[in-house]
Amino acid sequence: MKCEDYQGLLQDYVTRQLDPARRRLVDAHLLECADCQRELAVLTALVSALDHQPVSEPSAAFAEKVLANLPRQRAFVPSPWWALALAPVLATLAFLFRTPVASALSRLLDRLPNVPVQLPSFTASQVALFVAVALGFGLLVSAGAAYWCWQVWLRD
Amino acid sequence: MDVHLDTAPEDALVSRSARGDEQAFGVLVERYKGMLYSMAYRLMKDRGRAEDAAQESLIKAWAALPGFKGESKFSSWLYRICYNTCISELRKRRPEVELEEAMGVETTGPVEECRNRDMQTVIQDEVSKLPDDYRAAVTLFHFNGMSYDEIAEMTHKPMGTVKAHIHRARALLKTRLLERVGWENLKEVMWQ
Repeated sequence: MKCEDYQGLLQDYVTRQLDPARRRLVDAHLLECADCQRELAVLTALVSALDHQPVSEPSAAFAEKVLANLPRQRAFVPSPWWALALAPVLATLAFLFRTPVASALSRLLDRLPNVPVQLPSFTASQVALFVAVALGFGLLVSAGAAYWCWQVWLRD
Repeated sequence: MDVHLDTAPEDALVSRSARGDEQAFGVLVERYKGMLYSMAYRLMKDRGRAEDAAQESLIKAWAALPGFKGESKFSSWLYRICYNTCISELRKRRPEVELEEAMGVETTGPVEECRNRDMQTVIQDEVSKLPDDYRAAVTLFHFNGMSYDEIAEMTHKPMGTVKAHIHRARALLKTRLLERVGWENLKEVMWQ
């Protein structure tokens, strides 16, 4: 290896990111190379200065402003996992109330003027199951969208 | 403010804040305001905007705390929010920054003054002139004490790219500092 190759390893040597085998190689080279010793001294000084950059303080009213602007009520963000748990609950409720749900739906369909196609007849249980699946799916999609929007807001 | 809160462990403050305790959050604000403001200033190069970004990050953190599951360190989570807020703000004002650069607005004084200035000021000045990606990577690594992995995850860049940015940033800083103040001065001041 040439000096240039060793100098390419010196940054990781200084920040202790070099594996032990390569570290030993660099150690051995440093013993006999004045140029690399100088390069090491410069990098060590630079890294030390970068590691110890001072922390600046913001204005005196900083914390006060943050606390004064905290939203009093946190936004409710539905997680897709909650929706996943709620979907079977809704399905069960729809099944238990299948008769009123089915009759409400058929009354609604009757009010629609001139339905162009002949709708097949479904049993109350089937209608309730469709409603439950639709509700569960809708809830899952809306919660996923809300959660995604929340993550985007946090990122931006 | 509750005197016990000042000495309370971070985990306790985080859980109390997540439950809506503003006093506990106030202690966290006091603990992190310097780091967040300094980080924002290094990324944005403007004190007023850095302060706004740091405040916005803390307000976002407060709102998001109920969802913080402790999978990462609280500090890393907070730095991530601050980093994203700064980057988003920088993107919004990009045309303005380019205009300033095109007009050759100088942020540093003459070379002669450097010898009399604190070396940390010179270093911060040189860091502020690095390209955005290099400056962000070197700030997160050296100032925030984050690992290559953490930076890669936060900036959505491959670890090799992050490492290359940090290496090139240090190489640029080394060259510029040696040109500006010379090795003898650099050595003398840095080892003080």
